[in-house]
Amino acid sequence: MSDLTHFDLLPLQMDPQSKAISTLKPSRALTAELEQLNTLHRSLLGLETPAPPPPIPVNPKRTAGVTKLRDSGNAEYRKGKFADAIKFYSLGLQMATTRPLWEPAALVREEISGLLANRAQAHMALQNWAEGAVDANASVEARWVGNAKAWWRRGRCLLEMGRLDEAREWVKRGLEVEGEEAELVQLLKEIDTKIEKNQAS
Amino acid sequence: MALPAFLDIDWKGLALPFAYVIVLAGALMTFSSVYRKRKAAESANLAPWFGPHLQRNIYLSLLHMQPEEGGEKTPRIPDSVLRAALLRRAVEDIRRLIQIKNAKQACSSLLQRGSVGDDLWQRFQRAEKEMEAELRDVVQEANALAPNWGQSIFQSAHEMAGNAHIRTQIDDLLATTESEKKWWEKRRGQIQSDFMKEIDSSEQSPSKAASEEDAVLVDTPSKSKKKGAKK
Repeated sequence: MSDLTHFDLLPLQMDPQSKAISTLKPSRALTAELEQLNTLHRSLLGLETPAPPPPIPVNPKRTAGVTKLRDSGNAEYRKGKFADAIKFYSLGLQMATTRPLWEPAALVREEISGLLANRAQAHMALQNWAEGAVDANASVEARWVGNAKAWWRRGRCLLEMGRLDEAREWVKRGLEVEGEEAELVQLLKEIDTKIEKNQAS
Repeated sequence: MALPAFLDIDWKGLALPFAYVIVLAGALMTFSSVYRKRKAAESANLAPWFGPHLQRNIYLSLLHMQPEEGGEKTPRIPDSVLRAALLRRAVEDIRRLIQIKNAKQACSSLLQRGSVGDDLWQRFQRAEKEMEAELRDVVQEANALAPNWGQSIFQSAHEMAGNAHIRTQIDDLLATTESEKKWWEKRRGQIQSDFMKEIDSSEQSPSKAASEEDAVLVDTPSKSKKKGAKK
């Protein structure tokens, strides 16, 4: 791309009915890109305005939907129907991840981290430590700071699965990020005593 | 008589200074032209900072498809497709912009310390300039495709880049669920069978059974406590 008027002409074609763009000379990168383009095009067609609106203000409909699903998940959890709670959280997660791409990413992070942390808790209540650990990990990935519960939950799951060293590393990292969170400190102590006990025996 | 006097210049005597001037001028001109050519070739041969801009190529190819296949029924590309293609191009631009911003600090400090050559810096600056022109171009195209879109296209593109990043991250992590689950099931089975074996062996030797029971007794309350904490 030495000068700005130059470009490589790609052999593209369009299906007149579906308006989908395809290429005559497919390569992996180009095919993947065109697929994304077509998906984006379809989602753009659903809009009333020709171009996607600026990220703020956000259309409140989807946010309300996600919140509602999370609340019903929480209600099921309190009733002790953990499997149903997981179902609601998963639905909420699906809704949050299918939010239009041009809406604020920070909002998506926020919603996903909350839902995943709650789902991790529901999994833990069912003693599905593996799923709980993965969910809590993903929740932390979505939001590092201010997510002490998710840090704690993965630590607990790892401890329950007997992956003590991993759990210790994880909780230590959590303490670095979150500061001296009482729950995490306690969990670290618990892990340490367990490791000592294992070494002693 | 003036003419012959005028013509009667000592050409032979002047040949030396003329030759000197010509040689000097010729040498300077050759040097400058060769130098310039070499410099131009050098900067043209510098590898571009970024690879080919696929999204840009797609957008421009779509744009140029219309007039070329004029003969038969022209597949007129609708504006919505062009808008989508432009948005994809803007997303890639944002990605590149972030890369450039991240690299700038490191690049300039490395150059000051002399750890990298001058040509890297040249490549970098060229990439920066190209980026600026590219951004301006996208804003113009956006304004042409929808009124006032130029103001918000990069905001949208920025969020899109962020969203795509989160989604791949989370999807990758959640994809590990199955393997983790399998691992844990296997492991739990192993622990259980070990436990059963221990019980079997403890039945045979009574002295060991006492210590085993102790361990179980220590374990049980702590487990119930954990459950209490969770609820």
